[in-house]
Amino acid sequence: MSTAMNFGSKSFQPRPPDKGSFPLDHFGECKRFQEKFMKCLRDNQFENALCRHESKDYLECRMQRQLMAQEPLEKLGFGDLVDGKAGKH
Amino acid sequence: MGGLWRPGWRRVALCGWRWRPLGRPTCVAERVERWLKPERSGTGGAGTPGPRLIGTWRRSSLARDLAVAARRPKSTNPQARAQEEEWRRRNKTVLTYMAAAAVGMLGASYAAVPLYRLYCQTTGLGGSVAAGHSTDQIENMVPVKDRIIKVTFNADVHASLQWNFRPQQTEIYVVPGETALAFYKAKNPTDKPIIGISTYNVVPFEAGQYFNKIQCFCFEEQRLNPQEEVDMPVFFYIDPEFAEDPRMVNVDLITLSYTFFEAKEGHQLPIPGYN
Repeated sequence: MSTAMNFGSKSFQPRPPDKGSFPLDHFGECKRFQEKFMKCLRDNQFENALCRHESKDYLECRMQRQLMAQEPLEKLGFGDLVDGKAGKH
Repeated sequence: MGGLWRPGWRRVALCGWRWRPLGRPTCVAERVERWLKPERSGTGGAGTPGPRLIGTWRRSSLARDLAVAARRPKSTNPQARAQEEEWRRRNKTVLTYMAAAAVGMLGASYAAVPLYRLYCQTTGLGGSVAAGHSTDQIENMVPVKDRIIKVTFNADVHASLQWNFRPQQTEIYVVPGETALAFYKAKNPTDKPIIGISTYNVVPFEAGQYFNKIQCFCFEEQRLNPQEEVDMPVFFYIDPEFAEDPRMVNVDLITLSYTFFEAKEGHQLPIPGYN
C-alpha cells in the first residue's frame, strides 16, 4: 500500500493471494525440507529454476501435514516435474 | 429664490451653519441649486424654463434627485438608449451562461468519482488489476526463459511490534511464468504471544500488477507464541505477459517488501480491493 498522496501518479494496489494464507508451521514439521531448499538455493547462486524439485518437496510436505490445501501439482506450476522428468533448465 | 432672501441667509439655509460668507459655493446643495437656475445654459434644463421663472424653489430631496440621475441613461439620445438596453440584455445572457457553467462544473466534479473509476478499470492505469489470472493459467503458462529477473526481499516491522522478522534469502533469480518459493523467518523474543498481520509492497509499481502470489502469509493474523520462531513461505510467480509489456523492458529488479504490524484483539482488517 503506497502512502503517496499524489493522485496523479500510479500507486500500488496490494492483492490478496490466490489461495489465501499459509498456516504457520508452529512445530517445524517441514523444516527439513525448507533447509534443503535453502541449501540448494545457496549452492546455485539463488537461481530458482535449479531448485524446483526442493520447492516441490516442501510444498508436498505441507500438503501432507495439513499445512496447505491439497492441490494437484500441475496447478502449482510443477507440471513438468510431476512426470518424473529430470529437473528443467 | 434668488431675490427673496438675503444672500447670506440663502447660504445658511442650503448648507447649514457651515458656511463662508464670501467665495464660491461650498456645499453640494448650493452647487446643485446654481445648476438648477434658469440662467445656466447647460445640458440640463432644456426646454422647461417656465416653472423656474415663476420663482418657486422646489427643494426636492436632493439625494433622490442624484440617485435618479445616476440610474437614468447617460444620454437621452434614443439611439444610445437602445444600445444601452442591448448591452444590458447581453450582460444578462452572459451572466446566465456563466451561472450555468458554474453549476455544470459542480455537477461534473461529483460525477468524476465513478467516471474515473470506470476509466481506470478500462484502461488499466493506476496499477489496477490486469486481466484475470486463474489457476488454469498457472497450469498452462510457459516460462519465458530468456528474461531473468532478480527478486530481492525486504522485511520490516512496525515500531510497536517486537518480532524479529527477516528474509532468509536476499535475492532470487526467476523467470516469468515460473513458480518460485521464498522464505521469511519471524521470531517472537518476548514472553507473551503476539499476533501480527502483514501487508506487502512491490516496487516498481508497474511491475506489481504482474507479481502474483499463489500463497503467502499476508493479510491474515499470525500468532507467535513466546520464544517461537517460524518459517514463513511465499509462493509466487511473475505473469508471463510481463515479458511482452513494452513498459517493462528495462525492469530487471523487483523488490518484494513485507511489513508486519501488531494486530489488536478483535480488530478486523479489510481485505484489500476496491469495494
